[in-house]
Amino acid sequence: MGEVKNSTSKKGLGIVFFLAGFVGALILGWVVFPNLLYSSKTQPVTFLHSSHEDSSCEDCHYFRDDGSYSGVPGVAKCAECHEEPMTESEDERILVEEYIQQEREIPWLVYAWQPDNVYFSHAAHTEEQGIECVRCHRDVSAEEKMPVYKENRITGYSKNTMKMVECEKCHAEKGASNSCHICHK
Amino acid sequence: MSLGRRAFLQFVGGAIGGTLLTPIPWKLADDSAIWTQNWSWRPSPERGEITETTGTCLLCPGGCGIQARLVNGHRAIYVKGNPDHAVSRGGLCPVGAAGLQYLYAPYRITQPLKQTGKRGDPQGFQPIAWNEALKIVADKLAAVRKKGLPHTVACITGQDRSSVTDLWKQFFAAYGSPNLYTMPRHSDSTRLAVALATGYDADLGFHLEKATYVLNFGAPLLEGWAAPVRIQQIFSRWQTEQPGLPKTELVHVESRCSLTASKADRWIACKPGTEAALALGIAHVLIREKLYDAAFVSEKVFGFEDWTDAAGALRKGFKALVLAKYSPKDVAAVTGVDAQVIQELARELARQKNAVVLWGQSSDTPNNLYHDLAFLALNALIGALSDKAMVSLVPSQPWQALPEPAMDLEAFKGLGQKPLGQPTSVPKTKVRPNTLHAFLNALANGEEYPIELLFVHEANPAYGLSENTLAVQALQKAGMVVSFASYLDETAAYADLILPNHNAFERLDDVIGLPGAPFAFYAVATPILKPHYDTKSTGDVVLGLAKTLGGTVAQSLPWKNYEEVLKLRAAKIAEGATGLLVDATFDPASVEPGVSLRANFKKAADVWKKLTAGSCWVEAPQALDACTTPSGRFELACQGLLASVSTNAGDELFMAHYKPLPPSGNAGELPLLLTTYRSLSLAPGYVPNAPFMNKLLPDDLLLKQDVFVEVHPETARKLGLRHKAKAVLKTPLGEAPVRVRVAPTVPADVVALPEGLGHTAYDEYVQGKGVNANSLVEVHLDPVTGLGTVWATRAQLRLA
Repeated sequence: MGEVKNSTSKKGLGIVFFLAGFVGALILGWVVFPNLLYSSKTQPVTFLHSSHEDSSCEDCHYFRDDGSYSGVPGVAKCAECHEEPMTESEDERILVEEYIQQEREIPWLVYAWQPDNVYFSHAAHTEEQGIECVRCHRDVSAEEKMPVYKENRITGYSKNTMKMVECEKCHAEKGASNSCHICHK
Repeated sequence: MSLGRRAFLQFVGGAIGGTLLTPIPWKLADDSAIWTQNWSWRPSPERGEITETTGTCLLCPGGCGIQARLVNGHRAIYVKGNPDHAVSRGGLCPVGAAGLQYLYAPYRITQPLKQTGKRGDPQGFQPIAWNEALKIVADKLAAVRKKGLPHTVACITGQDRSSVTDLWKQFFAAYGSPNLYTMPRHSDSTRLAVALATGYDADLGFHLEKATYVLNFGAPLLEGWAAPVRIQQIFSRWQTEQPGLPKTELVHVESRCSLTASKADRWIACKPGTEAALALGIAHVLIREKLYDAAFVSEKVFGFEDWTDAAGALRKGFKALVLAKYSPKDVAAVTGVDAQVIQELARELARQKNAVVLWGQSSDTPNNLYHDLAFLALNALIGALSDKAMVSLVPSQPWQALPEPAMDLEAFKGLGQKPLGQPTSVPKTKVRPNTLHAFLNALANGEEYPIELLFVHEANPAYGLSENTLAVQALQKAGMVVSFASYLDETAAYADLILPNHNAFERLDDVIGLPGAPFAFYAVATPILKPHYDTKSTGDVVLGLAKTLGGTVAQSLPWKNYEEVLKLRAAKIAEGATGLLVDATFDPASVEPGVSLRANFKKAADVWKKLTAGSCWVEAPQALDACTTPSGRFELACQGLLASVSTNAGDELFMAHYKPLPPSGNAGELPLLLTTYRSLSLAPGYVPNAPFMNKLLPDDLLLKQDVFVEVHPETARKLGLRHKAKAVLKTPLGEAPVRVRVAPTVPADVVALPEGLGHTAYDEYVQGKGVNANSLVEVHLDPVTGLGTVWATRAQLRLA
């Protein structure tokens, strides 16, 4: 009769190997992979919305006359108040000396930057239409520190960039069309 | 215990199962799809605030108003016509529409360059600082002047309607050199013809808005003639029925069935280059049948009847000459147009109240002086120059250009020298003959005197001059070549020093006068965006050089910068207090010669503000009431030519007659005639065809890198050439590979080649496409004016 192999593949032990692979993959997929996929970047200048509460949101984020949205303000807007440093902080020195005085735009890392193939108009997504800013953006009102910018190493977009499914869900809820050409012109 | 095969497979199975329950496969699939959208070569438009700004296109002399769309005020993304502009009214030609491709072209010169290798080696250019580069030029200018040789400094400019040209004139007068040239244009010869016939230094303006009948001898109206957009719009109005107005009839005379010919009401196919003979044949019928404007001719014209010259000799007049030599039968033999048709055309022309005669060639090159005089004479006979003013004289400068230059002895001596190569026969009129070909010829052959320093400004003669090899030879002979090119073009390659100008959309400049328009015109071109690179406006460079030279040169050019010069123009307009600042509501038909328009402005500051906001200044042309010719009349027999022709010259040498300059070469070996033609989709001037424009070219004009020549079916059969066949086109100037388009649009034994292709410089999207027509055509120097004329070249076409 055949020889019985003294192997690890005996019945009963097999499930252990299966589970080892299974659990290992789960750990890799849920813990290691997300850390590998994103690199952490810090903003060129620390900016806190909570320190700018003397201004209204619309002072910096407003609709232009042609209906387009200003989004992240340019350095000219910062210069309206920060022509000269207002505090002693290092960040403010960088802002004034390296950007405002040299008329260089600050290369902000935008958390909600959408790819070029998405056509999105803020004009159709306003509070008057019942969509709060925080529906898509983080709540910045009480923020004491800027969140770390997690950049997807493959796509180059932020981890916080809203995915299509979120758009579709909201469109479905609000009864807006989900036709392709609504967003992909 | 060893890890068996089965255990391994169990492990892998578990790992696969586990992986499927993690985000890895799904996230990777999604992300890699997004990754493909972000490849570095994929264009990604900048996001931001979109603004619109207005300006004036400087890419041709047409002076169209433009609107540019910008992102964040610094990235231009679109150029279109400005609907509020007085002349172009929202129209724009393909060159203007593709204009941003020059702004962002990879062949832009981004900083001053110095040739460190051999002249002509594009790899030899090294960056140099502006102050160093300017010092080299200033030192050279000072050294040449110190040696007492200021006349050995020369300049070729391609911008003849900008204040920079006036700065060059001022600079050359104060410095002391007569060698300032513009790139050749048809207006070089018409201005001489006008000066001889009327005594004025003026461009011809045609009142096409009022015309009811246009007899056009070859002017390529739809291929980019005069101010192309204005002409296109007038043409479209001619084609549109307007209640209460008679339809304008266009009769086009040309050997080739061009776009204009095919869209005309009637096309008269004459033999190549015989248009002037046909014009004189028509004049014959007008005179014989007494259909000409007898009142105008008897009161305002000299030389129609026989006349006596200053020496007392009796000379035959225009009437006698035309009646003797240009009977319809004789002209039919020359032109190939039926005698019957000639009579018909003359009667039709005479019958019309608002008829006008236009003329031109497919290429914008000077014409034979006597032929220009023939078309001018025909206009005089039909009364187009009378009070009807279908043709008017528009002074080339609506005001005194700049204050008189301060000139020292050196300047007087230098300026008094004969322009290099200029023939002595050149008629002495108010117009300086632009004898560029003669200049280059003398320079290339080392005749008369050498040129120590040659400036090339907004011009590309090494490509765009007819017989361009002459320019290349001359560039190699000049002591030092300084170019102001914005692009590394064929000519810039031969420079020792390049001081790059801002691109046409980046600089503040102006447009003085519109070619062919019957009114004086002035517009300011404001930059649509800030300069991208380390470039300088040539106007500022010229002023800076003058300042460095000091003395009378600096005194003559005292302005701080070029903007100040342009503001001086606005001040002149305000001071003159005539003319109108207009927008699209301007109606050119309302302008009458000699009747000044009542100014709608007062202060210079307001004029400047409106000009920079896109308004144009217009003013009526002068009336033809007092000619400044020896007779005080419009001279059909030009007494101004007395000094240019020998005293015992035949009577016809004083007036219009048909005299083609014979092409060189052996008719046996080169049995065909090569003519060239233009298209609005081909840029033959200073800028090359942008990739957007190449997209407009049909594949029977340019197939990959091969250009097609048009050949008549009969000629093709005789030569054994089929449609699309590869062939070699040979002329006395050289040979080039082409393909054959068999088409009845050209007469038998004629080959037609498009202009604007065959660049060797720039980048891979521009160079190597087709053949440069300028390298194959032959230039004939007009024996009277010394201007380089082009009409046809003997050629041979054989199977490759």
